[in-house]
Amino acid sequence: MEIDRRAFIASLGGPAVVALMDHEAKAEALEHYMEEKLDAMVAAQQPEKFPTVAEIQAQIETRPFRRGTGSVFTGQRGENVKILKPMPDKPTLKDFFELRFAPANHVLQSATRAMKTGMSEEIILACLLHDCVLSLIKPDHGWWGAQLFEPYIPEKSAFAIRYHQTLRFYPDEEAGYEYPDQYYRIFGHDYTPPQYIQDTYKMLKNHKWYMEPRLVTVNDLYAFDPNAKVSIEPFLDIVGRLFKQPKEGLGYDNSPSAHMWRTLARPDNPL
Amino acid sequence: MTRPVLGAFAFAAAAVAAAAQSSAIPGLDAKVTKIERAGSASLRDCPPGTNTVSAVTKPGEQFALVTVAFKVGTGFKASPMKRPTITDASDKSYFTPSQFVDVGSMPEYSCTFPFRVPEGTKLKTLKIESATFDLAALDK
Repeated sequence: MEIDRRAFIASLGGPAVVALMDHEAKAEALEHYMEEKLDAMVAAQQPEKFPTVAEIQAQIETRPFRRGTGSVFTGQRGENVKILKPMPDKPTLKDFFELRFAPANHVLQSATRAMKTGMSEEIILACLLHDCVLSLIKPDHGWWGAQLFEPYIPEKSAFAIRYHQTLRFYPDEEAGYEYPDQYYRIFGHDYTPPQYIQDTYKMLKNHKWYMEPRLVTVNDLYAFDPNAKVSIEPFLDIVGRLFKQPKEGLGYDNSPSAHMWRTLARPDNPL
Repeated sequence: MTRPVLGAFAFAAAAVAAAAQSSAIPGLDAKVTKIERAGSASLRDCPPGTNTVSAVTKPGEQFALVTVAFKVGTGFKASPMKRPTITDASDKSYFTPSQFVDVGSMPEYSCTFPFRVPEGTKLKTLKIESATFDLAALDK
């Protein structure tokens, strides 16, 4: 075991305190320090203990909000919410990225990986958009997300967004998807997906577009790097080609999801 | 048990000693440096960033963590590369979730590829593109 001399001396109260100790006391202190370090090292090597579904359930009444609340409606880490910048009169997807989905780091990382590994533009777009709806709502975010974007994007991209939620629960080693440890943390290690998710998975396994949502999950897994530097700029060409930006602005084109965009634009409206 | 991938086409004579040697990835020198076993694996691409997601094993499984050192030479041409695979003693293949992303972005780096295998599986080979590496000697 390597001992950090400075840390050891500091743990005893500094050089002045050490100078007052006799050799026996110093040896004892060193032994005690090494035991503590060893205990910490062993503890760090123990597998993480993930919560159960029941333990997660027991946390519900400890919060003033529900876990499924979209992020524009809650403050960061228990803080109060902030005044949001107003949206332009005819907002574009880029405006929503900058003013409502921001920082959107996870989806940008995901799309960056899809682009760098040579995936199709439909998949890159799906990766870019796959979790944006979490700003609005979290449960069933695959279905909500697909509904939000469906009027504006290719059918394959919407399919990929809708069903990535289901495939996130099912590993596929050949495709490069592992069940993530964070799901043990947020759903519980003994979680079983509900029947409708199981049924959807059965449908997807034999679907000709299975790989569309699967590739979203593959990139999803690798897009939680706190140090990644990403931006929307590399995707603007693809957005220009594949995203049908309404001339009236998102929210004002009377599409089936226009109201969802308006809610994102004005989440402080009481009704 | 390392395998210089760069220029490996030229080493026909080495084929006997390096039975697992195959062709090359021009401009990319690769060398298997370590094989470890673990109950969890950090999911990072190659070259590795600081992705925070991990995967954990179920009872009866383990991750074989195969570490490969890479050196990027001037002749390397960036293009999408397939994920590595390994085989066990019975030639069954296993896949890693780790992907090559931006392989030419830095001159030298090391990547650890996790492979979910049944506990006690003896590894035979690692395949990266068309290059094959003998793992048996390192997998003690």
